Amino acid sequence: MTTQPIRVCAFHDQRPAFAVCMSCAKLLCQECASQWDGIWHCSPCLAAKRTAIHSESHAGGWIAVSAVSILLLFVCAKVMVWTGALLAGLL
Amino acid sequence: MIRAPLSTSSVLDEAAETVRKVASPWAALSIVTALPYRFAQAVFADRLIQLGIDAQHRANYLLMLAGWTMAAFVVSRWGRLVFARAVRLAVESGRAPGAAALRVRFTVLLDYLYVSLFLECVSIATLMTCLAPLLCTIVTGLAVGTAESNDRPSLAAPFRRIAKIGTNVRTATAVALVFVCAAAVAAVNVAGAFGAGLWLGSAIGGWDAQRWMLIVSPSNRRFILTVIAGALVALEPFWVGAYVTFVRKAGVVESGDDLRQWFEELRSA
Repeated sequence: MTTQPIRVCAFHDQRPAFAVCMSCAKLLCQECASQWDGIWHCSPCLAAKRTAIHSESHAGGWIAVSAVSILLLFVCAKVMVWTGALLAGLL
Repeated sequence: MIRAPLSTSSVLDEAAETVRKVASPWAALSIVTALPYRFAQAVFADRLIQLGIDAQHRANYLLMLAGWTMAAFVVSRWGRLVFARAVRLAVESGRAPGAAALRVRFTVLLDYLYVSLFLECVSIATLMTCLAPLLCTIVTGLAVGTAESNDRPSLAAPFRRIAKIGTNVRTATAVALVFVCAAAVAAVNVAGAFGAGLWLGSAIGGWDAQRWMLIVSPSNRRFILTVIAGALVALEPFWVGAYVTFVRKAGVVESGDDLRQWFEELRSA
Protein backbone atom coordinates (compact mmCIF):
# COMPACT_ATOMS: atom_id res chain seq x y z
CA MET A 1 0.00 0.00 0.00
CA THR A 2 1.41 3.37 -1.04
CA THR A 3 0.80 6.60 0.89
CA GLN A 4 -0.04 9.83 -0.91
CA PRO A 5 2.79 12.41 -0.39
CA ILE A 6 1.61 15.45 1.57
CA ARG A 7 1.66 18.50 -0.66
CA VAL A 8 3.18 21.51 1.06
CA CYS A 9 3.53 25.23 0.28
CA ALA A 10 6.57 26.14 -1.84
CA PHE A 11 7.41 28.98 0.57
CA HIS A 12 6.41 27.36 3.90
CA ASP A 13 7.23 23.63 4.10
CA GLN A 14 5.25 23.28 7.36
CA ARG A 15 1.98 24.32 5.79
CA PRO A 16 -0.26 22.24 3.56
CA ALA A 17 -0.82 23.37 -0.02
CA PHE A 18 -4.04 25.21 -0.64
CA ALA A 19 -3.76 26.45 -4.23
CA VAL A 20 -1.51 26.42 -7.30
CA CYS A 21 -0.03 29.59 -8.81
CA MET A 22 -1.35 29.82 -12.35
CA SER A 23 1.81 31.60 -13.53
CA CYS A 24 4.64 29.46 -12.12
CA ALA A 25 2.67 26.35 -10.99
CA LYS A 26 4.07 26.51 -7.44
CA LEU A 27 1.98 25.12 -4.59
CA LEU A 28 0.80 27.77 -2.17
CA CYS A 29 -0.59 27.85 1.35
CA GLN A 30 -3.60 29.98 2.28
CA GLU A 31 -1.39 32.88 3.30
CA CYS A 32 0.74 32.89 0.15
CA ALA A 33 -2.12 32.52 -2.34
CA SER A 34 -3.64 35.71 -3.69
CA GLN A 35 -6.51 35.84 -6.09
CA TRP A 36 -6.35 38.41 -8.88
CA ASP A 37 -9.06 38.55 -11.49
CA GLY A 38 -10.38 35.21 -10.16
CA ILE A 39 -7.02 33.43 -10.63
CA TRP A 40 -4.59 32.28 -7.92
CA HIS A 41 -1.07 33.73 -7.98
CA CYS A 42 1.95 33.65 -5.69
CA SER A 43 3.39 36.96 -4.37
CA PRO A 44 6.43 37.14 -6.73
CA CYS A 45 4.26 36.49 -9.82
CA LEU A 46 1.69 39.04 -8.65
CA ALA A 47 4.46 41.60 -8.06
CA ALA A 48 5.87 40.90 -11.55
CA LYS A 49 2.42 41.42 -13.07
CA ARG A 50 1.97 44.65 -11.15
CA THR A 51 5.36 45.96 -12.29
CA ALA A 52 4.53 45.04 -15.88
CA ILE A 53 1.27 47.02 -15.67
CA HIS A 54 2.93 50.05 -14.10
CA SER A 55 5.81 50.11 -16.58
CA GLU A 56 3.36 49.91 -19.48
CA SER A 57 4.34 52.52 -22.02
CA HIS A 58 2.01 55.48 -22.47
CA ALA A 59 4.10 56.94 -25.26
CA GLY A 60 1.04 57.39 -27.48
CA GLY A 61 -0.75 59.36 -24.76
CA TRP A 62 2.31 61.51 -24.03
CA ILE A 63 2.82 62.37 -27.69
CA ALA A 64 -0.87 63.04 -28.33
CA VAL A 65 -1.41 65.27 -25.28
CA SER A 66 1.88 67.16 -25.80
CA ALA A 67 1.17 67.74 -29.51
CA VAL A 68 -2.42 68.88 -28.88
CA SER A 69 -1.28 71.17 -26.02
CA ILE A 70 1.34 72.88 -28.20
CA LEU A 71 -1.17 73.22 -31.03
CA LEU A 72 -3.77 74.65 -28.64
CA LEU A 73 -1.23 77.15 -27.32
CA PHE A 74 -0.81 78.59 -30.83
CA VAL A 75 -4.51 78.34 -31.68
CA CYS A 76 -5.41 80.08 -28.42
CA ALA A 77 -3.10 83.03 -29.23
CA LYS A 78 -4.63 83.27 -32.72
CA VAL A 79 -8.19 83.06 -31.37
CA MET A 80 -7.33 85.80 -28.87
CA VAL A 81 -6.26 88.10 -31.72
CA TRP A 82 -9.20 87.24 -33.99
CA THR A 83 -11.84 87.64 -31.30
CA GLY A 84 -10.13 90.74 -29.95
CA ALA A 85 -9.94 92.38 -33.38
CA LEU A 86 -13.58 91.50 -34.02
CA LEU A 87 -14.70 92.95 -30.67
CA ALA A 88 -12.50 96.05 -31.11
CA GLY A 89 -14.08 96.63 -34.51
CA LEU A 90 -17.57 96.32 -33.05
CA LEU A 91 -16.95 98.60 -30.07
CA MET B 1 -13.47 64.91 8.20
CA ILE B 2 -16.49 65.29 5.99
CA ARG B 3 -19.89 65.38 7.62
CA ALA B 4 -21.83 68.17 5.98
CA PRO B 5 -23.75 67.05 2.89
CA LEU B 6 -22.76 68.38 -0.50
CA SER B 7 -24.16 71.91 -0.79
CA THR B 8 -22.92 75.31 -1.92
CA SER B 9 -22.59 76.64 1.63
CA SER B 10 -20.77 73.53 2.92
CA VAL B 11 -18.33 73.67 -0.03
CA LEU B 12 -17.63 77.38 0.55
CA ASP B 13 -17.31 76.96 4.34
CA GLU B 14 -14.86 74.06 4.08
CA ALA B 15 -12.93 75.77 1.29
CA ALA B 16 -12.55 78.98 3.33
CA GLU B 17 -11.23 76.96 6.27
CA THR B 18 -8.74 75.04 4.09
CA VAL B 19 -7.57 78.13 2.19
CA ARG B 20 -6.84 79.80 5.54
CA LYS B 21 -4.66 76.81 6.49
CA VAL B 22 -2.64 76.84 3.27
CA ALA B 23 -2.61 80.61 2.72
CA SER B 24 1.03 80.90 3.71
CA PRO B 25 2.89 80.37 1.43
CA TRP B 26 0.77 78.55 -1.15
CA ALA B 27 -1.87 81.24 -1.74
CA ALA B 28 0.97 83.70 -2.25
CA LEU B 29 2.53 81.39 -4.84
CA SER B 30 -0.82 81.07 -6.59
CA ILE B 31 -1.22 84.88 -6.65
CA VAL B 32 2.37 85.53 -7.79
CA THR B 33 2.06 83.05 -10.68
CA ALA B 34 -1.39 84.37 -11.69
CA LEU B 35 -0.34 88.05 -11.67
CA PRO B 36 1.64 88.09 -14.96
CA TYR B 37 -1.18 86.32 -16.81
CA ARG B 38 -3.96 88.59 -15.57
CA PHE B 39 -1.96 91.74 -16.21
CA ALA B 40 -0.91 90.50 -19.66
CA GLN B 41 -4.64 90.04 -20.38
CA ALA B 42 -5.26 93.59 -19.13
CA VAL B 43 -2.49 94.97 -21.39
CA PHE B 44 -3.90 93.01 -24.35
CA ALA B 45 -7.42 94.37 -23.73
CA ASP B 46 -6.05 97.90 -23.31
CA ARG B 47 -4.18 97.77 -26.63
CA LEU B 48 -7.26 96.38 -28.37
CA ILE B 49 -9.45 99.22 -27.10
CA GLN B 50 -6.73 101.73 -28.00
CA LEU B 51 -6.38 100.38 -31.55
CA GLY B 52 -10.12 100.04 -32.12
CA ILE B 53 -10.91 99.40 -35.79
CA ASP B 54 -7.15 99.52 -36.58
CA ALA B 55 -6.65 96.31 -34.59
CA GLN B 56 -7.29 94.34 -37.79
CA HIS B 57 -4.20 95.93 -39.37
CA ARG B 58 -1.93 95.31 -36.36
CA ALA B 59 -2.29 91.53 -36.22
CA ASN B 60 1.45 90.86 -35.77
CA TYR B 61 1.73 93.22 -32.81
CA LEU B 62 -1.37 91.71 -31.19
CA LEU B 63 -0.11 88.19 -31.87
CA MET B 64 3.13 89.04 -30.07
CA LEU B 65 1.13 90.28 -27.06
CA ALA B 66 -1.10 87.18 -27.20
CA GLY B 67 2.04 85.00 -27.29
CA TRP B 68 3.35 86.61 -24.08
CA THR B 69 -0.08 86.21 -22.52
CA MET B 70 -0.10 82.49 -23.34
CA ALA B 71 3.42 82.06 -21.92
CA ALA B 72 2.18 83.64 -18.67
CA PHE B 73 -0.87 81.35 -18.88
CA VAL B 74 1.36 78.23 -18.64
CA VAL B 75 3.11 79.61 -15.52
CA SER B 76 -0.24 80.48 -13.91
CA ARG B 77 -1.56 76.92 -14.48
CA TRP B 78 1.46 75.47 -12.69
CA GLY B 79 0.85 77.79 -9.73
CA ARG B 80 -2.80 76.85 -9.72
CA LEU B 81 -1.99 73.13 -9.65
CA VAL B 82 0.48 73.58 -6.79
CA PHE B 83 -2.19 75.42 -4.80
CA ALA B 84 -4.81 72.76 -5.64
CA ARG B 85 -2.41 70.06 -4.42
CA ALA B 86 -1.72 72.04 -1.23
CA VAL B 87 -5.48 72.28 -0.58
CA ARG B 88 -5.98 68.56 -1.18
CA LEU B 89 -3.08 67.64 1.14
CA ALA B 90 -4.41 70.02 3.80
CA VAL B 91 -7.89 68.47 3.59
CA GLU B 92 -6.44 64.96 3.90
CA SER B 93 -3.96 65.61 6.72
CA GLY B 94 -5.76 68.43 8.52
CA ARG B 95 -2.65 70.64 8.60
CA ALA B 96 -0.71 72.90 6.23
CA PRO B 97 1.40 70.88 3.79
CA GLY B 98 5.14 71.39 3.40
CA ALA B 99 7.22 71.11 0.26
CA ALA B 100 5.12 68.08 -0.78
CA ALA B 101 2.69 70.53 -2.38
CA LEU B 102 5.34 71.43 -4.95
CA ARG B 103 5.61 67.86 -6.20
CA VAL B 104 3.00 68.14 -8.94
CA ARG B 105 3.41 65.18 -11.30
CA PHE B 106 4.29 66.07 -14.90
CA THR B 107 1.35 63.96 -16.15
CA VAL B 108 -1.02 66.05 -14.05
CA LEU B 109 0.51 69.31 -15.31
CA LEU B 110 0.40 68.25 -18.95
CA ASP B 111 -3.18 66.94 -18.77
CA TYR B 112 -4.42 70.03 -16.95
CA LEU B 113 -2.59 72.31 -19.36
CA TYR B 114 -4.25 70.57 -22.29
CA VAL B 115 -7.75 70.76 -20.75
CA SER B 116 -7.39 74.38 -19.62
CA LEU B 117 -5.97 75.45 -23.01
CA PHE B 118 -8.92 73.83 -24.75
CA LEU B 119 -11.38 75.54 -22.40
CA GLU B 120 -9.57 78.88 -22.71
CA CYS B 121 -9.80 78.60 -26.48
CA VAL B 122 -13.55 77.88 -26.35
CA SER B 123 -14.04 80.61 -23.76
CA ILE B 124 -12.31 83.29 -25.87
CA ALA B 125 -14.01 82.19 -29.09
CA THR B 126 -17.44 82.39 -27.43
CA LEU B 127 -16.72 85.55 -25.43
CA MET B 128 -19.63 87.41 -27.02
CA THR B 129 -22.20 84.85 -25.84
CA CYS B 130 -21.44 85.54 -22.10
CA LEU B 131 -23.01 82.20 -21.07
CA ALA B 132 -20.37 79.96 -22.67
CA PRO B 133 -17.42 81.59 -20.81
CA LEU B 134 -19.32 81.00 -17.53
CA LEU B 135 -19.77 77.36 -18.48
CA CYS B 136 -16.05 77.15 -19.30
CA THR B 137 -15.24 78.66 -15.88
CA ILE B 138 -17.23 75.87 -14.19
CA VAL B 139 -15.55 73.15 -16.26
CA THR B 140 -12.09 74.70 -15.63
CA GLY B 141 -12.85 74.60 -11.91
CA LEU B 142 -13.83 70.95 -12.12
CA ALA B 143 -10.69 70.29 -14.18
CA VAL B 144 -8.41 71.71 -11.48
CA GLY B 145 -10.28 69.66 -8.87
CA THR B 146 -9.94 66.38 -10.78
CA ALA B 147 -6.43 67.04 -12.17
CA GLU B 148 -4.63 65.10 -9.42
CA SER B 149 -6.44 61.87 -10.34
CA ASN B 150 -4.97 61.83 -13.86
CA ASP B 151 -2.40 59.04 -13.64
CA ARG B 152 -1.57 58.76 -17.35
CA PRO B 153 -1.67 61.26 -20.22
CA SER B 154 -4.88 60.94 -22.18
CA LEU B 155 -6.99 63.17 -24.41
CA ALA B 156 -10.36 61.83 -23.27
CA ALA B 157 -9.83 60.67 -19.65
CA PRO B 158 -9.73 64.18 -18.06
CA PHE B 159 -13.05 65.07 -19.68
CA ARG B 160 -14.58 61.75 -18.56
CA ARG B 161 -13.58 62.52 -14.97
CA ILE B 162 -15.04 66.02 -15.24
CA ALA B 163 -18.28 64.62 -16.66
CA LYS B 164 -18.52 62.13 -13.79
CA ILE B 165 -18.13 64.82 -11.12
CA GLY B 166 -20.15 67.32 -13.16
CA THR B 167 -23.37 65.39 -12.49
CA ASN B 168 -23.79 67.70 -9.47
CA VAL B 169 -24.48 70.53 -11.91
CA ARG B 170 -26.57 72.62 -9.54
CA THR B 171 -23.88 72.95 -6.84
CA ALA B 172 -21.07 73.46 -9.37
CA THR B 173 -23.05 76.26 -11.08
CA ALA B 174 -24.02 77.82 -7.75
CA VAL B 175 -20.35 77.94 -6.69
CA ALA B 176 -19.46 79.63 -10.00
CA LEU B 177 -22.24 82.20 -9.59
CA VAL B 178 -21.08 82.97 -6.05
CA PHE B 179 -17.64 83.72 -7.50
CA VAL B 180 -19.11 85.93 -10.23
CA CYS B 181 -20.71 88.05 -7.48
CA ALA B 182 -17.51 87.83 -5.42
CA ALA B 183 -15.50 89.15 -8.39
CA ALA B 184 -17.66 92.29 -8.48
CA VAL B 185 -17.25 92.77 -4.71
CA ALA B 186 -13.49 92.14 -4.95
CA ALA B 187 -13.20 94.71 -7.77
CA VAL B 188 -14.95 97.32 -5.63
CA ASN B 189 -12.59 96.47 -2.75
CA VAL B 190 -9.47 96.69 -4.92
CA ALA B 191 -10.64 100.08 -6.27
CA GLY B 192 -11.38 101.15 -2.68
CA ALA B 193 -7.89 100.08 -1.60
CA PHE B 194 -6.36 102.25 -4.35
CA GLY B 195 -8.58 105.17 -3.30
CA ALA B 196 -7.65 104.74 0.36
CA GLY B 197 -3.96 104.60 -0.55
CA LEU B 198 -4.30 107.80 -2.54
CA TRP B 199 -6.19 109.50 0.29
CA LEU B 200 -3.49 108.52 2.79
CA GLY B 201 -0.77 109.55 0.33
CA SER B 202 -2.35 112.98 -0.20
CA ALA B 203 -1.49 113.78 3.42
CA ILE B 204 2.18 113.62 2.45
CA GLY B 205 3.49 116.60 0.54
CA GLY B 206 6.06 116.70 -2.24
CA TRP B 207 4.29 114.64 -4.89
CA ASP B 208 1.78 115.33 -7.60
CA ALA B 209 -1.45 114.17 -5.96
CA GLN B 210 -3.62 115.67 -8.71
CA ARG B 211 -1.94 113.55 -11.36
CA TRP B 212 -2.49 110.39 -9.31
CA MET B 213 -6.14 111.37 -8.79
CA LEU B 214 -6.54 111.25 -12.56
CA ILE B 215 -4.71 107.93 -12.86
CA VAL B 216 -6.70 106.26 -10.06
CA SER B 217 -10.11 107.32 -11.32
CA PRO B 218 -12.92 105.29 -12.89
CA SER B 219 -12.59 107.38 -16.08
CA ASN B 220 -9.12 105.86 -16.67
CA ARG B 221 -9.52 102.71 -18.77
CA ARG B 222 -6.19 101.27 -17.63
CA PHE B 223 -7.14 101.67 -13.98
CA ILE B 224 -10.42 99.81 -14.56
CA LEU B 225 -8.59 96.95 -16.33
CA THR B 226 -6.02 96.80 -13.52
CA VAL B 227 -8.78 96.63 -10.92
CA ILE B 228 -10.51 93.77 -12.79
CA ALA B 229 -7.19 91.89 -13.09
CA GLY B 230 -6.44 92.50 -9.40
CA ALA B 231 -9.87 91.24 -8.35
CA LEU B 232 -9.48 88.04 -10.37
CA VAL B 233 -6.01 87.42 -8.93
CA ALA B 234 -7.25 87.99 -5.37
CA LEU B 235 -10.11 85.51 -5.87
CA GLU B 236 -8.00 82.81 -7.54
CA PRO B 237 -6.96 80.89 -4.35
CA PHE B 238 -10.55 80.84 -3.03
CA TRP B 239 -11.91 79.72 -6.39
CA VAL B 240 -9.37 76.88 -6.68
CA GLY B 241 -9.98 75.91 -3.04
CA ALA B 242 -13.75 75.82 -3.57
CA TYR B 243 -13.56 73.56 -6.61
CA VAL B 244 -10.99 71.19 -5.06
CA THR B 245 -13.27 70.90 -2.02
CA PHE B 246 -16.32 70.45 -4.26
CA VAL B 247 -14.70 67.66 -6.30
CA ARG B 248 -13.51 65.91 -3.16
CA LYS B 249 -16.91 66.13 -1.48
CA ALA B 250 -18.76 65.04 -4.62
CA GLY B 251 -16.38 62.08 -5.09
CA VAL B 252 -16.59 61.07 -1.45
CA VAL B 253 -20.38 61.22 -1.41
CA GLU B 254 -20.49 59.16 -4.59
CA SER B 255 -18.28 56.39 -3.16
CA GLY B 256 -19.92 56.37 0.31
CA ASP B 257 -16.58 57.18 1.95
CA ASP B 258 -18.16 59.91 4.08
CA LEU B 259 -20.41 57.38 5.82
CA ARG B 260 -17.48 54.98 6.33
CA GLN B 261 -15.32 57.76 7.81
CA TRP B 262 -18.14 58.93 10.05
CA PHE B 263 -18.84 55.38 11.23
CA GLU B 264 -15.14 54.82 12.04
CA GLU B 265 -15.03 58.08 13.98
CA LEU B 266 -18.11 57.07 15.96
CA ARG B 267 -16.58 53.70 16.76
CA SER B 268 -13.32 55.17 17.97
CA ALA B 269 -15.09 57.86 20.05
